[in-house]
Amino acid sequence: MDNDTRNEHTFSPKRSKHMSLPVLPSGSDSHIRMRKVSNTSSIAGQSGIPPKVNLEYINTSGTEEKNSRNIWSLSGCDWDLLVIGTAIKLLLFPAYRSTDFEVHRNWMAITHTLPISKWYYEATSEWTLDYPPFFAYFEYLLSIPASFIDSKMVDLKNLNYDAWTVIAYQRSTVIVSELVMAFALSWFVRRSLRPDLQRIISASLYFHPGFLIVDHIHFQYNGFLFGILLWSILMARNNQKLLSGVLFAILLNFKHIYMYIAPAYFIYLLRSYCMDPSGSISIPSFIRLAQSVIAVFAVSFGPFIWLRQISQVLSRLFPFTRGLNHAYWAPNFWALITALDRVLLKLVHFRGLQLDVKQAGVESTSRGLVGDTVFAVIPNVAPIHTFAITLLLQAVFLVKLWRHPTYKSFVTAITLCGYVSFLFGWHVHEKAILLVLVPLSLLAGERHSYFRTFTIASVAGIFSLFPLLFTPAETLIKTVYSLLWCIMVLPPMSKQLYEFPSSAVGVVVDFLERAYLYGFVLLQIFTSLYPVLAHRGLPTSQGQTVDGQSTAEVLSKLEFLPLMLTSVYCAIGVIWAFLRLGFLYLTEQF
Amino acid sequence: MSQNGSIRQRRTSTLNNDGVLFPGGRSSPIPRPTSLASVRSTNYSETDHSEILSPTPRRHYLIQRQSSQWLQSGGGISPSTSRPSSPLNPNHPTGGFRRHKPSLSFSSLAGNSKQKGAKVSGLNDSLARRWVRWMHKNKLKGWVLPIQILLALWVKWAVGLGSYSGENTPPMYGDYEAQRHWLEITYHLPVRMWYKYDLQYWGLDYPPLTAYVSWIFGYIANKINPAWVALDSSRGIELPNSKIYMRATVLVCDLLIYLPALFYFATKSSLLRHRSIRARHVAFFTLLLQPALILIDSGHFQYNSVMLGLTCQAFNYFLEGQDLLGAICFVASLGFKQMALYYSPAVFSYLLGKCLLLGWKEGSAHLIRIGLVTVLSFIVLFLPFLYPSFPENLLPPIQRIFPFARGLFEDKVANFWCTSNVVFKWNRHFSASLLPKLATGLTAVAFMPTMWALLSPGIKGFGSMASLYHTEASVDGTENKKSRRPAPTVSLLAHSLFQCSLSFFLFSFQVHEKTILVPLLPVSLLMITSAPTVEGSDWEWGVLLNNVGCFSMWPLLRRDGLSVQYVSLLALWNYAIGHNPFRQKSLQALTLAVYSAIFVLHISELVISPPARYPDIFPVLNTLISGGVFGLAWLWSLKRLVELSWAMGSLGTQRSSAPSSLRMNSLSNGTRTKPLAVQEVFSSSIYGDNSATGGNGHNSQRHSVSPASSMVRRRNTSVLPPTREEGPSTASVVDLNEPSM
Repeated sequence: MDNDTRNEHTFSPKRSKHMSLPVLPSGSDSHIRMRKVSNTSSIAGQSGIPPKVNLEYINTSGTEEKNSRNIWSLSGCDWDLLVIGTAIKLLLFPAYRSTDFEVHRNWMAITHTLPISKWYYEATSEWTLDYPPFFAYFEYLLSIPASFIDSKMVDLKNLNYDAWTVIAYQRSTVIVSELVMAFALSWFVRRSLRPDLQRIISASLYFHPGFLIVDHIHFQYNGFLFGILLWSILMARNNQKLLSGVLFAILLNFKHIYMYIAPAYFIYLLRSYCMDPSGSISIPSFIRLAQSVIAVFAVSFGPFIWLRQISQVLSRLFPFTRGLNHAYWAPNFWALITALDRVLLKLVHFRGLQLDVKQAGVESTSRGLVGDTVFAVIPNVAPIHTFAITLLLQAVFLVKLWRHPTYKSFVTAITLCGYVSFLFGWHVHEKAILLVLVPLSLLAGERHSYFRTFTIASVAGIFSLFPLLFTPAETLIKTVYSLLWCIMVLPPMSKQLYEFPSSAVGVVVDFLERAYLYGFVLLQIFTSLYPVLAHRGLPTSQGQTVDGQSTAEVLSKLEFLPLMLTSVYCAIGVIWAFLRLGFLYLTEQF
Repeated sequence: MSQNGSIRQRRTSTLNNDGVLFPGGRSSPIPRPTSLASVRSTNYSETDHSEILSPTPRRHYLIQRQSSQWLQSGGGISPSTSRPSSPLNPNHPTGGFRRHKPSLSFSSLAGNSKQKGAKVSGLNDSLARRWVRWMHKNKLKGWVLPIQILLALWVKWAVGLGSYSGENTPPMYGDYEAQRHWLEITYHLPVRMWYKYDLQYWGLDYPPLTAYVSWIFGYIANKINPAWVALDSSRGIELPNSKIYMRATVLVCDLLIYLPALFYFATKSSLLRHRSIRARHVAFFTLLLQPALILIDSGHFQYNSVMLGLTCQAFNYFLEGQDLLGAICFVASLGFKQMALYYSPAVFSYLLGKCLLLGWKEGSAHLIRIGLVTVLSFIVLFLPFLYPSFPENLLPPIQRIFPFARGLFEDKVANFWCTSNVVFKWNRHFSASLLPKLATGLTAVAFMPTMWALLSPGIKGFGSMASLYHTEASVDGTENKKSRRPAPTVSLLAHSLFQCSLSFFLFSFQVHEKTILVPLLPVSLLMITSAPTVEGSDWEWGVLLNNVGCFSMWPLLRRDGLSVQYVSLLALWNYAIGHNPFRQKSLQALTLAVYSAIFVLHISELVISPPARYPDIFPVLNTLISGGVFGLAWLWSLKRLVELSWAMGSLGTQRSSAPSSLRMNSLSNGTRTKPLAVQEVFSSSIYGDNSATGGNGHNSQRHSVSPASSMVRRRNTSVLPPTREEGPSTASVVDLNEPSM
């Protein structure tokens, strides 16, 4: 079967969406699956079934139904990935962990020792509970076995407890709760029309370096939360939109950062679930959806409304006291603006440019990257501005979604909503890039242009997560792992999706994008070597001064240079990928 | 062409119907002229290749046929390769006889392969295989090796994130501190003081190469941060960065010495190079992730990979016939860690046996060459200690390297002494001075069979290598010296190394539990040259020993805080190589029994705290289980050695004084005209010995002959004229190791 089919696939410019090439056959059933898929394509392609909304995304033939009814049945390939993934993550138990580890331990202690009425008031530790109630309930669930294993784990006063038991326990809970995502991803492959590509995408998400860095080293529960999001998207694909909405409501009550993508959900569900194609609202559907969502919120916030604590809970959830940029600039629009401000300031100093310089801004730069960002040259940005920009840009894409409420359009809109919030939001954390990368991955198998967008955004986004782990021991872990991920994910997909650029401009852009991607190698070399260079610079220059200040001072002033470079370089890629995706979405014919 | 194929199909099926297997001697051929005609036609058919690449190659039932074909190939083929060499491979060393296979495979075995093929192919499918296949299908072939190496480095580094031996345990700390301390003393002290300075605090007790390597690393460490290796004041230093530096040194050693040696073995050595590239990738993968070594080197902290890598490279050179380079590597291995002495009887016997085979003239010259090179290497190794005052400086290192003043065994070790100590208290019945002698004697007895196996062909066939090879220019024009070829006994070498080192582990004096790594190397090499279901159970024993080896080090690993890494690596490796004791064909009972015992022990250790009367109950049970398995493994290796050398010797003595494998070695060159007699020897012995066409691959069936094979034999000896053996043979050797894609 191989050579002919594959060649035809790789080189034909226009492929039928239904044709597929199983690339990762799992053991003996590959032939069977191949046959099933080709069956499907013939049905969908020839017999002229009226185009239902999601038909092109779901293998609707009954052949896989029997297999897919059982959620728990995993194929051989899934088992392979699960075992490798778990083994690898187990090895990371002793790795560096951030304060988030203590945050979550503290939340376990809070929920376990205190009655529910005190959860959102407790402030013994500085890491107060600031996630929505479902997450608090989740922590309570986790604290029950924890108290049996080691009661000191759930001791409220036992701050910064780092015995082996608590490390092993909390790390294992991350691995176990991530199974939610693993099952969602496996389920994505089941009825996909291109299971080959979808399998790579699913595997790439399960092994995403972002999750490895943020969850398994830095410590958070993103795998679990994105698992719920993926289930919700999956339900949308499978035409179970009510369930999709409910799952998303549940997700919102786990972590409110997902509000960034809520507009897309709102428009999509309203348009495709509550309205029929002619445009008239179906009242029963609307009521059903509203009831379900309200019920979810009632379960979550009900106890606190009952206890009249809702304002306290909300004040914990939405603290508006932070700066524009996080300590390390997330690679977004504001990072570029801030960098521009710094450059302009230097120009003012050295070239004597005639610009107003605000003293507060100068002080802000000398404090490095920590704390509030105040611009020296560029007019300052207030939270309201960022909100306005975010909503405006989201609205552009939501209009498109309103017109074409298909599944693919929906996933793109989710990605773009997350993207806009990430790029223009107030005090965005670099971890929020996952909100972009995860739904974007689902689109990667569409076409080469989507795949290229995915490549740029993923590489830049993953690289921008590297500074989260600043300890030297983890440098090899994160770089080698990300490199392995790139090698295993990008070339196989590229081989199936590659299209030669159709115009001269396309060739130039293609070249520039490649050059940009390879630039990350240089950047990594620079950021790794910079501390060594700075260290070597120190002993020689002590005492002697050059231009009034020693090299050591210059170097220590430039201590944040690698971080700044990383942030700016990644921001360029992330923003370019955003422009690509936005353009693709707005011009796409659904 | 297609018609030809269809004809053959029909004929083979008829043959299949009457080609029932039955036991019989070599001299019971059944003439079947009609079938023979069809067989004959296929032999020279050009369509054989289409059969090789047929779209549905299933795992062939012939997989079990391989008991002795390697014997015919000299050093060319592994003793236990599961798959005969591909005829498409230009390096294919045994072009001489492959072309007779199609008759065998497609006549008598087609039915079997149809019925059981699926099952057998399922047996060999593993994660590593599936992954390599996927990579190849996605045209990522070139990335397989970089990814494997990166993955191995990643895993080692990730294990290195954990704790090490003696972390945070002043005043003596552990092996980590010992190694770091050596960096310190070698960098700061003159050479003559290395083996004398403050011996109570981790005095240097490894041979000089370790000291030199330590000096290099100490020098670099001093450049980076002098505090890491400051003399005396750095004792017990445990900075995050110094830990990273030490871990990195292990990784660098791995990358420079161990991985290249493994890579060379898995891809280029004569035992594996005839296999498909996928099989070699899988083999390399299996070695890379071998858990025991990763746990000890990257977790517990030691540099065993250097010693093992050098030994592996020496073995590679022996396989190539480059004995002098091999000797240098082996001396270097000895010079890094005296543990390599465990291999030395085998190495010595192999080289001596080869000299004997070479005869008086060639052999004595070769012996002298090897001796000179060895002595010179040792002199170079100890050069700094020979000057300025000769004997005084040399004595301290020697005394430190061989400590006879310690006890019989140190900790709970799964060897003979410690295990039997449970019932028989050796210390009470024998004096402390007698025990070392007893241990030495017992060890010598234990490795005697190895030496015998390697030396006896030399004694029996004295000078036979010289008489068979003619010093003529080979194809590429280079001079082809006889001593440059591996002796036929090289096929025994891996087993010998294993048996010999295991003998030392079991019976010798002062053994550490970590020493099990020494026998694990050759058995792992044996394992990857084999495959599941292959006769001889090399693969099954390899997996079992690797797992039990890890288990035997469990008390140590638990003390080091490496329990999670232990679980994770064992799971990863066993899953990756597709080890499933429930589905394996041979050795299933033992494997299952051992695993369940291990499982029960681990669970009970987790749940129950040991009774006050027997605080050491779990380590003792551990040594009982692992010691029992190691003892059985010793017996198994003895059995294998006897089998292999008996087969070799018996074949040889039947027709002439020389081992017949020599003949095949001469045949394998592919350019010489083959005498009829030799071909006769080979064809009868191949198919005569090759039993396992239908059975379970056990040795009891070694001498059963299938009718088809005996037909082939008759046919070959009577009809075929002496031919020049050139070009690929036309056997339809289905890619046995690779299931259909």
